[in-house]
Amino acid sequence: MTVPVEWYVALSAILFSIGALGVLLRRNAIIIFMSVELMLNAANLLFVAFSRYLGDLDGQVLVFFVITVAAAEVAVGLALIVVIFRTKQSINIDEINLMKG
Amino acid sequence: MNAFALAPLVLGLPILGVLFNGFVGRRFVEADRSVGEKWSGWAASIMALSAFVIVVLLYFSLQANGHHAEIVPMMDWISIPSANFHIPWAMQIDTLSVTMMLVVTGVGSLIHIYAIGYMHGDPNFSRFFTYLNLFLFFMLILVSGNNYLMLFVGWEGVGLCSFLLIGFWFDRTNEKGEAMNANAARKAFVANRVGDLAMILAMSLTFWTFGTLNFEPVFDSAVEMFHSGAMVHFGAFSASLGGVLTAITALFLVGATGKSAQIPLLVWLPDAMAGPTPVSALIHAATMVTSGIYLIVRSNVLFEIVRESHALVLGVISSPDLVALVGALTAVYAGLIAFTQFDIKKVLAYSTVSQLGFMIAAVGMGAYVAGMFHLITHAFFKALLFMGSGSVIHGMEHGHHHISHGHGHDNHHDHFDPQDMRTMGGLRHHMPTTFWTYLVGSLALAGIVPLAGFWSKDEILAHASANSGGINTVVYILLTIAAFCTAFYMARQVKMVFFGEPRHKAAEHAHESPRTMTMPLVILAILAILGGLLNFPHFGAEAEAAHGAETAVVAAGEHAAEVESAGGLNLALEHWLEHSIASFHLTEEGVVEMPHTPTTLQIPVATISSVLAIAAIAIAYFLVYGSRPKTADERDPLQATPIWWMAVLPLNTLYMGYIVPAFNRLAEWAAHTLDWAFWHDFVHDNIIRNIFVGFANFASNVLDAQGVDGIVNGSGSVARWLANQIRRSQTGYARNYALSVFLGTVVLLAYFLFMAR
Amino acid sequence: MGLLTIVTFLPLLGIIWILLQDKEKDDERVKRIALGTSIVTFIATIVVLALYDKSEAGLQLVDRVSWIPAWGIEYHMGVDGLSILHILLTSFISMLAIASSFPIIKQQVKQYYSFLLALEIGMMGVFLAQDLFLFYVFWEFTLVPMYFLIGIWGGKDRVYASIKFFLYTMAGSLLMLLAILYMGITNGTFSLPDLIAGRAAFASAQNLLFVGFAVAFAIKVPVFPFHSWLPDAHTQAPTAGSIILAGVLLKMGTYGFVRFNLPLFPEASAHYAPTIAVLAIIGIIYGAIVSFAQRDVKKLVAYSSISHLGFVMLGIFSLNAQGIQGGILQGINHGISTGALFFIVGIIYEQRHTREISEFGGVWMAMPVYSVLSLIVVLSSMGLPGLNGFVGEFTILLGSIGAASLGPNAWIYTAFATTGVILAAVYLLWMFQRVFMGPLDNPENKKLRDINKGELAIMLAFLLFVFWIGIAPSGYFALMDASVAELVKTVGSAVASLP
Repeated sequence: MTVPVEWYVALSAILFSIGALGVLLRRNAIIIFMSVELMLNAANLLFVAFSRYLGDLDGQVLVFFVITVAAAEVAVGLALIVVIFRTKQSINIDEINLMKG
Repeated sequence: MNAFALAPLVLGLPILGVLFNGFVGRRFVEADRSVGEKWSGWAASIMALSAFVIVVLLYFSLQANGHHAEIVPMMDWISIPSANFHIPWAMQIDTLSVTMMLVVTGVGSLIHIYAIGYMHGDPNFSRFFTYLNLFLFFMLILVSGNNYLMLFVGWEGVGLCSFLLIGFWFDRTNEKGEAMNANAARKAFVANRVGDLAMILAMSLTFWTFGTLNFEPVFDSAVEMFHSGAMVHFGAFSASLGGVLTAITALFLVGATGKSAQIPLLVWLPDAMAGPTPVSALIHAATMVTSGIYLIVRSNVLFEIVRESHALVLGVISSPDLVALVGALTAVYAGLIAFTQFDIKKVLAYSTVSQLGFMIAAVGMGAYVAGMFHLITHAFFKALLFMGSGSVIHGMEHGHHHISHGHGHDNHHDHFDPQDMRTMGGLRHHMPTTFWTYLVGSLALAGIVPLAGFWSKDEILAHASANSGGINTVVYILLTIAAFCTAFYMARQVKMVFFGEPRHKAAEHAHESPRTMTMPLVILAILAILGGLLNFPHFGAEAEAAHGAETAVVAAGEHAAEVESAGGLNLALEHWLEHSIASFHLTEEGVVEMPHTPTTLQIPVATISSVLAIAAIAIAYFLVYGSRPKTADERDPLQATPIWWMAVLPLNTLYMGYIVPAFNRLAEWAAHTLDWAFWHDFVHDNIIRNIFVGFANFASNVLDAQGVDGIVNGSGSVARWLANQIRRSQTGYARNYALSVFLGTVVLLAYFLFMAR
Repeated sequence: MGLLTIVTFLPLLGIIWILLQDKEKDDERVKRIALGTSIVTFIATIVVLALYDKSEAGLQLVDRVSWIPAWGIEYHMGVDGLSILHILLTSFISMLAIASSFPIIKQQVKQYYSFLLALEIGMMGVFLAQDLFLFYVFWEFTLVPMYFLIGIWGGKDRVYASIKFFLYTMAGSLLMLLAILYMGITNGTFSLPDLIAGRAAFASAQNLLFVGFAVAFAIKVPVFPFHSWLPDAHTQAPTAGSIILAGVLLKMGTYGFVRFNLPLFPEASAHYAPTIAVLAIIGIIYGAIVSFAQRDVKKLVAYSSISHLGFVMLGIFSLNAQGIQGGILQGINHGISTGALFFIVGIIYEQRHTREISEFGGVWMAMPVYSVLSLIVVLSSMGLPGLNGFVGEFTILLGSIGAASLGPNAWIYTAFATTGVILAAVYLLWMFQRVFMGPLDNPENKKLRDINKGELAIMLAFLLFVFWIGIAPSGYFALMDASVAELVKTVGSAVASLP
């Protein structure tokens, strides 16, 4: 028996929504970061599900790319957060509004 | 033997003198006064004398040459091929020019020598001789050029030298601090320039009428055109030959009135007496002022054609008659003014003007030879008189010098005028040579038999009476009056200067001048006595007949020397000059009718003029000035008479009192009001600039600020407002941006899902 | 690259060399370079003269290459009888102007001499350009260095004078530019010989075109009443500026009339000849009267230029050989005499720092050599026969009295013009008397020194031509005779066809 693809789509949507809301609502940069990861992985889940469903490996190849990019992103992102923490002694993003017009 | 090739030397030698005195003379004089003055003065004099010697050689060459005119070309001057305009530097050696050159260099040499003594001690000794030589150079160009333009070079050049020499003591001022000498110099130049204007116009007309300015071609084609009755056409202009020639000759007359000091331009000559006395003798008596007469004699063909064509100036009078009338009027007018002068040189100056009037009248009447005759004799005795007066002035100055040294320095600042005849008197005892020579000159001028002036003046009067009728009668009467005046003012002068008792200490201490000054006086006195021999008339009717035969011989083409041997001394000048005065043979050919001058002594005319002259001398010497004046400040007996009205000098008052101030005011107004205040400041700096600035302000404040700037600034402020609104959306919170990205994605998704279908 | 191009741009080498010099240190060297360059340029113009064939009427030594082919604009240089004397005058006057500046200019020496040399380029170009567009470029270019020469090294009101000079001449040139463009576009070429050959194409508009050119040139000359810029520019300019301004720049105006107005618009020239002659005569008399009452020597000389240039204009618009040749020669004479007069004023100004006539008097006693030389120049300016001024003046008057273009009563014009001869004597002698004659009573003047060797050399250079042209001018007339004869043929037929 196979789990229908709709379930994967639904799960992916739920994960993405959780991630998106996390990014929008949370103040802690680390948690926002984890939320971004969650959104990425929601997308990965969807890629794999559709890959399996369509019998095409392209989706799975793309997932590898995403994972790679995500890993790089984590490295850069964490580095940024560390730098911000050093200058601001905080990782509360409400205090980071340099782009205010 | 032929000396024509030497002719350019006549011009070259004076220039050599100019260069010597101009460049090194000053150093010589400054190095050692007495030796330097000798070098400087004698160098100039020797140049003049050598020129005289060459002219004498030219004279003999001409005689050997059968009196034919010789053109000696030197170089090209102005040459414009496409305009067909060619003027050479060339000398015309003919009997007329040689006559003039003999007078110029002969009298000129004597005056040079005289000036060595007269100018002794002057700080600018060598400058004086530079000018004198320069004057000789220009005067010789004037009389020897073979075309009108060269004549004009000399004409203006002698004017320049006259300017320089009148203004020689340019730093002298009168009591009012005016530089009188410089003013007089300028006045002379400007008055001459008025005449020069006419000369330029006359020459331009001559060129267009005849296509050349060379004397002989001009006269030849004038005769030819007159013969064929051709009209004159040039440019868009056309007129009859008589009309054009009337204009040309009338303009020549105006030129002559400037240079020869006739009415109405005579006013400069009396002022010119401010120059050193040798200058007055050379330039303002003997040579330069006679240029006008030379010009008219030279142009005799043109004048005779006008006389023949009966063309009139402005429909009133023919131009030769006008010449005669101007001359006669000037003779009387200046003769009367001479009555009222106290300055010894000014009497002579007005006398010169008057005598020049005689000559002008003579040439106007067609008595060209008589005019030239008077020109020569006048050069002798008037140079003599001027140099004599210079000797008197010199003596008076030394006398004054003597007394002011005798009395300390009290008198040093008084304005003693060594030329004022009222301070003189009794000088015959102190200055005997000067007195006797002066007496000879005066009597010659007064026209007393047998001195030179009698013969020449009488020839003019005889011509006027013999050709009476029309203007000549008037001229005869006027000239007779003028002759009377001449004798009167000369008697007055001799009386005041040499007779009676000294009226000033300076006159008491005056003494005779040095030999360099008296020797030329003696030589000139001899010439003034013998000058009449130059053109001695025949006596009686037989001789007249003999002359008629001679003329026939000349007409037959016989050698002129035979005529002279036949005629002896009689009428030598006429026989000599007739080779240059083309009207003589044109009259024989019947082309023109030059009035005939009597060749015998006209007893009635001679008697009248002699009686009048003696009467005038007697009246002046015994009646008017019998025992007067006794003191220096005594009134002149004539001062109560209408004669004295001439002292206000109507013409001079007109010029200096009205025309000159009016010109000054006009110039001040034109320069400072019209050109500067109005045109420069008002029109340009106010109107044009204000219009421009006004427009610029309008453009910048109104057009630009509210128009262009309105749009530009308006769009700016709109943008600013808009930006203010929009910047509120920029919170700087990354999540807000993320939200907008998210919402944007949703919108795009919605669009693609639902709308783009 | 032809000889004329070399002649024109030779001064450019000098400019570059000068600009390569060390700042402030090498003033003496800069002077030497500038003078050397101008002497070489003068020699180059002599070479042009040597190669020039005076029997030929047309353009010679032509340099002609296409420049902007789309509009028919060419780089076209050539010399003929109308311009040969002008380029000689230009290089001669430039040389003397540079030499005369040596003791005077002490600030910004490099720039000063660079501008003088640049001015020489512009003036040469004006006289040599045979393409209207090229001519216009050179014409306007001369304004720039002159503007700076007046504006930087000038007198008290130099800024005002330089701006006025610039605007006035610029404004006049605009009409000329319009006329040039009109002709160029109608005919598809800007080349002068081609335009003259094809002048039928714009013959109907020639009166307007004539006026367009005439205004530009009349301002430059200056013809009365366009003279208001002249006294300012002359009095404020440094001595060398005045010498060049009077000597050469004014001649650009008269040259323009001869070079462009007469051959391009012969009928219009004949039509306007009486008008211009009247303006010229007013200029002669007015300039003379106004200069009589001046209190500043330099201004007096400046106004006398108006009078003299009136003679030149009268000669040109006599439209016959005498008048035009006399006019051109008188332009040259004026350049020499008035240039010398400005130099004379400069010498005395440098010592006394005033030009007020009333400050002087009796200078002759303090400076005898200077005074005698000045007298000769004054006499030359006055037109004394035997000196250069007379030859030009007389030829002009000769031309005007026989001018068919002035109608049957041409002699009236001439009679009025001749009064200028009297007036010249009046104002020049009055000036001479007040400055040089009279008592030496101002103690300041007793300290005056006579001219030094350098000044004497410059004066003698001027005087050489004063006498040469006065005594033997035939060679000068011969240079332009063929070209003028050709021009007179064109213009003469137009005059003959006048109603």
